[in-house]
Amino acid sequence: MEHDAPAIFAALEHSAFAAAIRQSSWLYPLANVGHILALVAFASAVAVMDLRILGAFAGTVPAHVLRQARRAAILAFCGLAATGFMLFSAEASHIVVNPVFRLKAALVAAGLLNALAFEVVVRRAVAPLPAGAPMPRAARMSAALSLAIWIAVAACGRSIAYF
Amino acid sequence: MRKRLAFIAALAITAGPAAAHHGWGSYDAANPLTVAGPILISKFENPHVTISVRGSDKVWTVTLAPTSRMTNRGAVQAVVAVGNTVSAYGYPSNVQPDEMRAERITVDNKTYEMR
Repeated sequence: MEHDAPAIFAALEHSAFAAAIRQSSWLYPLANVGHILALVAFASAVAVMDLRILGAFAGTVPAHVLRQARRAAILAFCGLAATGFMLFSAEASHIVVNPVFRLKAALVAAGLLNALAFEVVVRRAVAPLPAGAPMPRAARMSAALSLAIWIAVAACGRSIAYF
Repeated sequence: MRKRLAFIAALAITAGPAAAHHGWGSYDAANPLTVAGPILISKFENPHVTISVRGSDKVWTVTLAPTSRMTNRGAVQAVVAVGNTVSAYGYPSNVQPDEMRAERITVDNKTYEMR
């Protein structure tokens, strides 16, 4: 179904970079395992942030928890993006027309927008709160949405191979 | 008009059927078949090795196993090289009419399991 994909994705699949990933006996499995490990790190960091906002670990200072977990989440996301790009490149023209991949890409965009909205709109309200303080409603909604989106992203990622 | 064109373009792109090469779900296990003939193209690549085989009815793209599993089971690159005669037992794709996924292949009277 290569002819259905936009030319840029066919070009990516035919690039030397993508060929090297396919032809190596260890690069593809390495990216595969790395993607899952980065996902575990990312999901953990995001869960810490979201659960704190939803009221877990109420005895901690929220801004402190968020700052530490945010660093881990950003680092892990970079790992996800790098390994994901490797896996995508190897079969770009096939994967880009995969309906589950499209759903996943849209959900990733939604997750990033939600995170951005949180940082821009809600972060300032949460920053001065002491341990034990109730969280603003907007923050809790954003956190619940974040958890739902990233779990759905992970589910889509695993499902790409079956559609 | 522009909006409508964009909509049609989006529809055209989305309508392209998917061609993921992993799970067995998109193959019709109820209708197994054997494709036997010379290998025309051989791609010993990840995530799955693929070969083109001139069967009695048409040229089939036969999806095999990842390179490391192929190698571990003795189905090295030379076994599925262009020009060799192969017999592949497997299942036709529900998505691509000329593709099948092999459960096992036989080359030179030696059978290699792909699952």
